[in-house]
Amino acid sequence: MQFDFFTWLAGIPDWIYGILQWIYHLIMGIFFWAWGVIEWLWASVFAPESFMFLFRAVLFPGLIFVVLTLIWAVWFTRKLWGRIQDRRGPVHMGKYGGLQLFADAIKLIAKENIIPDNAKRWMFRFLPGLLLVVVLLPFCFIPWDFDYWFIADLSVSLVLVFAFLTAVPVVALLAGWVSGSKYSLIGGFRAANNQFAAEIPMIISSVGPAILAGSLSLMGIAQAQTSVWFAVLLPINLATFLVAAIASVGIFPFDAPVADSEIIFGWRTEFTGIYFTLTYFAEFAEQMLYSALIVALFLGGPVGLPFLPGAVNFIIKFIITFFFFVLVSSSFQRLRQDQIVHYCWKYLLPLALLNVVIAMLAIVYLPGIAALLPLGGP
Amino acid sequence: MGFFSVLGDIYQILKHTFRQVFMRPFTYFFPFEDRIYPERTRGRHIHVRKNCTACAQCVRACPVVAIRIDKEDKMYEKDAALYFDYTRCIFCGLCVEACRFDALFHTPVVDLSEGDRDDLVYGPDKITTLDRDPLEWRGRRFR
Amino acid sequence: MSPDILDEAMEIWFGPQHVSAHGWATKLTLVGDYVVECDPNAGYFHRSAEKVLEYKNFRQGSLVLERMCMLEAFLAEYPYVAAVEKIAELEVPERAKIMRTIMMEMSRLHSIQFWWGQFNAELGFFTMALWPWVDREYSLDAFEELTGSRHTVSYSTPGGVKYDFTDKVLKQLDRAIKRFEDRLPKFRDMQMGSPTFRARTKGIGQYTVKQGLKWGLSGPPIKACGVPMDLRKDAPDPNLAYNMCDWEVPITENPDHPGESDALDRMEQRFKEAETSVQIIKQLLPQLPEGPIIDPKARAKANRLPEGEAYARVEGTRGITSLWLKTQDKAQTAYRAKIRGPCIASYYALKDLVPGAKFADFIVIFGSLDPYPGWWDR
Ligand code: SF4
Ligand code: SF4
Repeated sequence: MQFDFFTWLAGIPDWIYGILQWIYHLIMGIFFWAWGVIEWLWASVFAPESFMFLFRAVLFPGLIFVVLTLIWAVWFTRKLWGRIQDRRGPVHMGKYGGLQLFADAIKLIAKENIIPDNAKRWMFRFLPGLLLVVVLLPFCFIPWDFDYWFIADLSVSLVLVFAFLTAVPVVALLAGWVSGSKYSLIGGFRAANNQFAAEIPMIISSVGPAILAGSLSLMGIAQAQTSVWFAVLLPINLATFLVAAIASVGIFPFDAPVADSEIIFGWRTEFTGIYFTLTYFAEFAEQMLYSALIVALFLGGPVGLPFLPGAVNFIIKFIITFFFFVLVSSSFQRLRQDQIVHYCWKYLLPLALLNVVIAMLAIVYLPGIAALLPLGGP
Repeated sequence: MGFFSVLGDIYQILKHTFRQVFMRPFTYFFPFEDRIYPERTRGRHIHVRKNCTACAQCVRACPVVAIRIDKEDKMYEKDAALYFDYTRCIFCGLCVEACRFDALFHTPVVDLSEGDRDDLVYGPDKITTLDRDPLEWRGRRFR
Repeated sequence: MSPDILDEAMEIWFGPQHVSAHGWATKLTLVGDYVVECDPNAGYFHRSAEKVLEYKNFRQGSLVLERMCMLEAFLAEYPYVAAVEKIAELEVPERAKIMRTIMMEMSRLHSIQFWWGQFNAELGFFTMALWPWVDREYSLDAFEELTGSRHTVSYSTPGGVKYDFTDKVLKQLDRAIKRFEDRLPKFRDMQMGSPTFRARTKGIGQYTVKQGLKWGLSGPPIKACGVPMDLRKDAPDPNLAYNMCDWEVPITENPDHPGESDALDRMEQRFKEAETSVQIIKQLLPQLPEGPIIDPKARAKANRLPEGEAYARVEGTRGITSLWLKTQDKAQTAYRAKIRGPCIASYYALKDLVPGAKFADFIVIFGSLDPYPGWWDR
């Protein structure tokens, strides 16, 4: 075929028109797609039940609430420590020092982040955040209330919570490892050692409620306590869980991982500024998480005064449990890390088992007790 | 030590800790509350120029050479101006002891902090009087 | 120690920036969790006090001494004063003798209270650290009422003391002693009965008398082995009033290993020392005669000393504190002064005492010997 220049020239406008149309369709396609996505999102977010789910996940028993409680918990701990030690605790910022934590956080965040030369830089930056996330995630399984004011209810939530919590010392060990300091390394290994000591007694202690309730979900366990709290049936398990929880968090009597007079600050030695803030918050978040678990497992969860909403009952019991956390953690000398393992395995584990066995026997031979439980009487 | 006596000891400790929570704290709310300092408190000095005889005994007694004397600066018949350097002074009280003319005393004022180092050298205008600018912090006045 | 063990060894510097190493640094070689080598280093706290003493006249000299160890200021400044008194042949009035003794025992009490708290803080029980420190405030109030200063008291002076007891001082002294006696039995129970404390200190840092004497230890670390070695009894100073009252040298016997002492014994010993101090003060207070508090000629005599040499010593809280002073004729300042602090011995005793112990126990051993850096770095 011969090339006809003029035909070619006449075809150019068509060609340009085609390109323009192509671009127009492309843009419109993307636009309608995005519009569709937005519409879908809009519909799903503001559909009443989804909106309320988001509200719960982000606001009330969710993230914001937990973070605010965290800030309150730090203040409460410091104030209580102060009172126990004949001091006043924080006083200057705000009423009774209530804003102290914000001031501290602003100061810490504004500080320079020092990353040691020996540290593995990216892991060093990444781990503190990961730690806080790992600790905050299990809060979504806490049964703040039986109906509506909870976030998620899984049939295996108890196991899942422990799975998350086992990751904490791994993060601590890694943090000690990547900091590139000898003190951090020792601290990291001690954190792992603590978890090794405390994990088994803690899980055995929580087996008691799980068996009595016949459920592995925190919600199911809490619901099983409507007629009798498990603290009545499993008092020793409550004590062992508390002690094992303290050991697992690594606060005072079991604070070998962060023993300040021995290894400066353990695996947190090299963290500064925002990284330190995150690890510091993670420690308190873990304490809070364990307090909430104790309330859910042993103290009846939202069961309590009938004229109060369930969540309020839960929070009251939560505060009392947290108070005991602080009380126990402020009254003993620190144990050496081999002694931690020794005590946890030699005393806590048999005691926890003993109580489970006693409770089982009681169910079998005392039909009145079994009738109180969802298992039902004979 | 039996298992139960250990439990008893733990209970004792926890009981005391628990009681302590509801006790009045021992410390005080410092800038807003302050205690009464005893008479003998060795705080900053006050120099009574009327009694001073410019004998320079205080300057000789000072172990850290915190006092400088200016004999030219006369206000009365035979007195001298003293400059106290509170960056050096260790509040030992030897100068007050050395002064036999009742011209130099300690006062119970102990909060001497200043923003500027040079302000801690108390010249004759500051050392002869207890008046000073009040410190303002968050809308309240101290001193 | 075979060389292949040392292949895996980790060298770790305990101090000088460590939180519980205030002015000292010790190099530890760790194999696993065990310390195999301990190398105490002095020199981080050096203030050239001996040289400074050559430039201070005899009334100013005691100020330097009391800054060696502010916790036992009354005791620390005494050897210098006694040496000057010996060279100048000054007579100390009876009242001044008793007042000195009382204040020295108060100083011992205060120092023990401080150590008690600090040891607990090192063991991770910060609450128990602050409770004795509250009692210590009462002693400090008494010091302040008497001398006008809380720590750097500058009380003794050649020929007597500087400040007289007033009614207010006596009231404060009574208050301090009463407070201590009120709280001691309870705190002692809580301290010695605390299972975590016993677990941490029993059998830790154990040595025999022979070893202790070889290292040159004195004071409570030796008395805790059951040997009544006390300068107050063995070589009573004529210028002090220890022979005017009736008391026994406090000793502690280890029930399992006679003639040895561990950290627990040394804690017990400190309690007994404090009780003895209180006993002495209580006997001396009513014996206070009327009269001058300073030799009237002391001022003139202490200005210029004749040629001479003197050696003075005192049983300090941490062991024997002594000073050797040489003067030239008509000198205004000392020709040479040599201070022997008690803690240099206990610090270098770590070299033989620590290897074999766990890393976490290092600070317990260190704390139980109560070394104060001011005494080994002069
Ligand atoms: S108190 Fe002591 S250091 Fe201070 S100026 Fe007087 S003599 Fe000098
Ligand atoms: S203050 Fe006293 S010692 Fe000092 S120059 Fe005046 S009179 Fe002399």
